[in-house]
Amino acid sequence: MATKRFLMNAGRTSKQGQQINIGKESDEYRAIVQTVTMNPDDMRELGIAEGQSVRARSAFGEAIFQCKQGNVPQGMLFVPYGPPTCRLMGGGTDGTGMPLSKGWEVEIEPLPPQDRQ
Amino acid sequence: MSCTLGEVKNRADLIIYWGGNPAECHPRHFTKYSLMPKGKFVPNGRKDRTMVLVDIRETPSVKAADLFLQVRPGKDFEVVTALRALIKNQRVDKDRLVETGLTFEQLQDFAGILKKARFGVLFFGMGLSMTRGKHMNSASVLTLVAELNAFTKFVAMPMRGHGNVTGSDMVIRWTTGYPFGVNLCRGYPRFNPGEFSTVDLLLRGDNDAALILGADPGATMPQPAIDHLARIPTIVLDPKVTHTSQLARVHITTAATGISAPGTAYRMDEVPLPLRPPLKSPYPTDEEIVRRIRQAVQGKPPWLPNSNGKRRLV
Repeated sequence: MATKRFLMNAGRTSKQGQQINIGKESDEYRAIVQTVTMNPDDMRELGIAEGQSVRARSAFGEAIFQCKQGNVPQGMLFVPYGPPTCRLMGGGTDGTGMPLSKGWEVEIEPLPPQDRQ
Repeated sequence: MSCTLGEVKNRADLIIYWGGNPAECHPRHFTKYSLMPKGKFVPNGRKDRTMVLVDIRETPSVKAADLFLQVRPGKDFEVVTALRALIKNQRVDKDRLVETGLTFEQLQDFAGILKKARFGVLFFGMGLSMTRGKHMNSASVLTLVAELNAFTKFVAMPMRGHGNVTGSDMVIRWTTGYPFGVNLCRGYPRFNPGEFSTVDLLLRGDNDAALILGADPGATMPQPAIDHLARIPTIVLDPKVTHTSQLARVHITTAATGISAPGTAYRMDEVPLPLRPPLKSPYPTDEEIVRRIRQAVQGKPPWLPNSNGKRRLV
């Protein structure tokens, strides 16, 4: 399947913040941190349907997300921080003590519907 | 060059959020401190204030902004540098601004707004400090704010993330002289981010034990750092089950500070606030557990490692 390179931006959402108080063990929390927001035009270009699984690969690791269309610029992805983003994050801190926590270059590969997780 | 949020509430007529999404991440910021409240020198509240949002994507905070400037990812430093030139009426090459995603006219308008303010405040978030450039981006906005003081009163404040991270910085600062990344192994504090900071220590595997208080690195740190926490004896003090508590050797459930345990929290403007818990908890507080661990450790005889890996009592 076709792949495309994106700039992945991780952040926080208020929904995630509320869910933390309920518990990080819940299915809702897992769903929140596994959902990536993509520009509708990018989704059309890659042939990704709403809710379809994609594999994100960075220089440091890979993780599987569900795609949701939303208001982000083309070529950019938004995802709330969580265990899947940890796998994509590099450990280097450039002497600052803080790893690069936003703006990772990732390759997105749509997964066939049967691989949905 | 900073101030308290009380001053922002009473004085600020220009509020800038740069690389932050307070509508979602600091939901009370607008209503309690920055935008909405009526203040001594801004008697009409929101009507007396201008809010400019600078970000790389259209977040829910855009709805609250008077002006939204969408910067291309990774171009904040360039925008700040151009603004620093524009406020001093220096020449800026229009063609070289194309890569920032903003036009010369937009930046000139913004520079005008900055200089016209009576009391401006720039809140900068993780979108600036944790993207490529990191501390250089933060340093550039701090320089911009310092230079704006030649024209008007201007202050800057970081939009701190989780609850009471400012408290951790403050306490380590007034006990050791440094805010974070402090090594006490030699009996006196040494500061070196990149060497003694948590992620770097974990990544190199320098530490052979970890005590985690009120944090969940298992859900935020890079995977190799998390893998090291799982390898070594990790002790977690947390009211809830977290990703870190699940990989830890020991998880001690604690009372939730502010809800069922008293204490002090530092607001992001470094003002300490006493916490009055409304509820009681059957669990001990973090402070009590740490005190008891410390007493137990003090009761043990001191030791040094031998060359054969065994302990040698001193």
